[in-house]
Parts: sequence; C-alpha cells; structure tokens
Amino acid sequence: MREDIVTANDMLLDRQIFDRDGVEVGKVDDIEVTFPDDGGPPVLSALLCGPTALGPRLGGRLGTWWTAIGRRLRPGDEPYPNRIPAELITKFDRHEVRLSASARELPTNRLRDWTREHIVSRIPGSGR
Amino acid sequence: MKGVLKLTLGVMTAVGGFVDIGDLVTTSLTGARFGMTLAWAVVLATAMMVLYGEMAGRVTAVSKRAMFDVVRERLGVRFAMINLASNALLSLLTLAAEIGGVALVLQLVSGIHYLIWVPVVGLLVWLVIWRLPFQALETVFGLLGLCLLVFAVALVLLPADWGALWHDMTHPSVPDGEATPTWLFYAISLIGACLVPYQVIFFSSGGREENWSVRDMKEARINTLVGFPLGMVLSLSIMAAMVPMLRPDSVDVRHLGQVALPVAQVLGVTGLIFAFLGFFACVFAAATESALSVGYSVAQYFGWTWGKRHRPADAPRFHVVCLASVIAATGFILTTVDPITVTIVTVVLGAAAIPLTYLPLLVVANDREYMGKYVNKRWQNALATTALLVMLVVSVATLPLMFATKAGQ
Repeated sequence: MREDIVTANDMLLDRQIFDRDGVEVGKVDDIEVTFPDDGGPPVLSALLCGPTALGPRLGGRLGTWWTAIGRRLRPGDEPYPNRIPAELITKFDRHEVRLSASARELPTNRLRDWTREHIVSRIPGSGR
Repeated sequence: MKGVLKLTLGVMTAVGGFVDIGDLVTTSLTGARFGMTLAWAVVLATAMMVLYGEMAGRVTAVSKRAMFDVVRERLGVRFAMINLASNALLSLLTLAAEIGGVALVLQLVSGIHYLIWVPVVGLLVWLVIWRLPFQALETVFGLLGLCLLVFAVALVLLPADWGALWHDMTHPSVPDGEATPTWLFYAISLIGACLVPYQVIFFSSGGREENWSVRDMKEARINTLVGFPLGMVLSLSIMAAMVPMLRPDSVDVRHLGQVALPVAQVLGVTGLIFAFLGFFACVFAAATESALSVGYSVAQYFGWTWGKRHRPADAPRFHVVCLASVIAATGFILTTVDPITVTIVTVVLGAAAIPLTYLPLLVVANDREYMGKYVNKRWQNALATTALLVMLVVSVATLPLMFATKAGQ
C-alpha cells in the first residue's frame, strides 16, 4: 500500500477538530464527498458535524432517535448536518484536524453559544 | 523542592480518589463480618488499579488525549456511546452516593438530619467545580483525606491480636457460619469499590488538566505507585480496625457512625475529629471527582471544550453537564433513598462494568501509532491481560452472586 494513501477510518472519522486558535470545534462525525460536475474523481468536500451526522453512524434505534432529536434542534428542521468546508482544513493526522477558521465563524457553535448565553453566563463567576 | 511538592500533590489525588463512600462502607462491612479474610481482595484490586492507573497516566502523557477521546477514536462511535452511557450512569449513581455520604458525615457531626444537608452538599460540590482551581482541589482534599491515617494509629493502640489478623490475611478462608457465595459476593464488592470506573477517567483527564507530557511520565508513574497503595493501607486499616472492636457481636455496619467507633474508643474526641475530617474530605473529593468525570467523558466524546483550566464561559457545555449531574444526583438522594443502599448498589454495578473502561485502555496502551516507543512492555501486557481476565470473571459473576446471596444477607 502506498504511504500517502489513508482511509477515512484511519485518519479522519471521529478525530478531534480544533480551530486556528486551538479551540475545540467538535468531532468529525461524518464526511461529505462530492462528484464534480465535469465528471472527475470524487473529492472530499466537507467534514460533517452534529447529531444529524452522528446519528446514522450510531445505527439502530439509538441512531434513529439521535438523528431525530438532532433534527428538532436544528434551525428550520434542516436535516443536513453542519458543514465544515474542506478548504478550511490546514492539517490533519491520526490525532486531530486543524482549521484555518475561528470556531466563532463556524456553524457548529450553536449549542456552545446557547448554553453560554442562557445558562453559564447568567451564573456569577463564569468569566473569571 | 518544587518537584517533591508536585509529587505529593499527585499522590494525594490518588489517595482521595481511592477511598470514597463505597470503599468506607464495604471495607468496614467486610471487616466487621469476615475479619481480615477478605483483605486479599483489596490487595488484588489495588495491584490492578496500579497497573491500569500507570497505563492511563502513560497514555495521557504520550498521546495528550484523555480517556474518552481515545475510546471513541479507537473503538468506534457505537461501542463508545454504550460505554459512555453506562459510565455516565454509574458516575451519576456514585455522585449521588457520595453526596449522601457527605450529608451523613455532617449529620453525625451536627446532629441535624442528613436530608437537610443534602442540598447544601450538592451546592458545595458544584461551587468547587465552578470556582476552585484544579490544583487547589487536589491539595486541599488530598491533605485532609490523610486524616484517615488515624485509623492506622487506632489500630496500633487497640488490643488487637496481630498474629490472628495476619493469619487471616495470608490464609484467606471462609469464616465459620458464613456461606461461600456470600463471602465471594463481598470479595467482588471490595474489588468493585476499589476499581471504580470514574477513577481512570478522572486520572487521565486530570493529567490533561495539568498538561502532562512525556517529561511528566515519571511523576505520573510515582503517583500511581505510591498513591494507590497508600489508599490501600488506609482501606486495610479501616477494615482491620473494625475487626477487634465489632467482630465478637458481629454488628452489621449500616451506619457511618459505627465505622468511627474504634477510633473513638482509643483516641477519644480528637481521634473522632480526625476520622470525621478524613471521611468528609475523601467522600467530598470523590463527589467532585465523579461529577467532573461525567462532564469530562461526555465532553470528550462529543469533542467539546472541557476542563477546569478554561473559564466556565469558554467551556459552557462541559459546565452545563456537570451542573446537571449535580442537580440530578442531589435530587435522587432527596427522594429519601438510603444513601448506604445506593452506595452498595453502585459498587456492585460498578464491579460488573469494570471491563468497559479498562479494556479500551489496554487496547490503546498497545497502539504503537499512538504510543510510539511507550507501548506496553510484554510483562505489562501479561499482567494486564491476567488482570482483565479477573475483571471479566468478576463482571460475569457479580449479578448472579448478588441474586443468589440476596446482596450478601
């Protein structure tokens, strides 16, 4: 096997994603592969995050529930998971994926922002 | 000097994490009922804890990953999810038991009913998670936990028959009038009380909180080699102290106050103060550790920012999970379930779930791509595999034994 070939399972799935400042963004719950219009070979176009990406991989009834709950929590019942476009990836190896964007600009931050705004920042001492 | 201090801190973490309400209850129960004939179970469990604790420290230091990060990467989403759910549930039950335990200690000291203390304790646990820096948590509770050494002192002063105690320890046999299944059931409870799943999660996550790297590996190793055996000494002295005092009339230790009886007898009020301070510190530390472990494992599975090294505003989901756990556990104890019963159930269920946490650890410690030259040596694997077999036997035998013996009655 060639050295520069990796499988998704070896290198990508379930890896920790960090933004450019080293802040945790999430895990690679699934990947998106696109077939270009010009008929070229399929390319990795995005990393997918969130319950609607994780649910199908969990499988079984648990997975179905997970997906359904995730979908209710998405704005506008959008079934498609959060995308992190592949262009943003600066580095990936067996341990982690690094992005060139900041976590704040990514769509994966909704739960983080919601819990911060509605629960954590209302408790004294959260910003110490 | 700084190195020594750092080391003692780690050692104390291990002591605080080892002796908790489950350990206090089961060791004193068995000491009072079976003498030292079950001491081997504590020694065996400690040896396994040292072995796997060292692995957890090494994996964390080398891979810079905490337990559940690695579990999900290496063992797949589905297995990791089942693992996460059972561990979180167990940690929640443990948390409930510890909160109840602290409240019981406070009842003993103050005379005020423990249910009034429960919300106070829940609030304190959460405040510590919210505000107290990680190192302070270790130092304060680790040091206070050492107060339990008062049991060793009491043991020396008690009119104990040392020869008989030692003979029981080295020649384990079922005491007269007890059934073998019951005896084995208590052996399993002791192992379950020592090998709590949250300890490995907490230990590896704590290593990340302190930003361990390969250079700190020696420190991590000494922590496990000194800390856990020290915890064992504390457990065994509590067990032994129960023997000469309570064995003749074979009192059933359903009450924490009875655990402190031997100390009260020889050392009076001063001894009692030390014993209660030690109880409080150990159980309270265990409460915060189990609450943190729920937050750690959930956040690591989903890839959220976690840990006390961040401001709560920067790790909001982690803190929400911790807060929710404390509220749930406090609420559960407030339903007036007996905290000691919750403790015993948790210990037994924990014994059944041991392999869930320890198997992944063994797998990762053998992964050359993660660990490089720090993979397990052959002798470590031989020992660890044997230990895992013991854990599997324990895990399979737990529930049948519990039903057969009606939970050891």
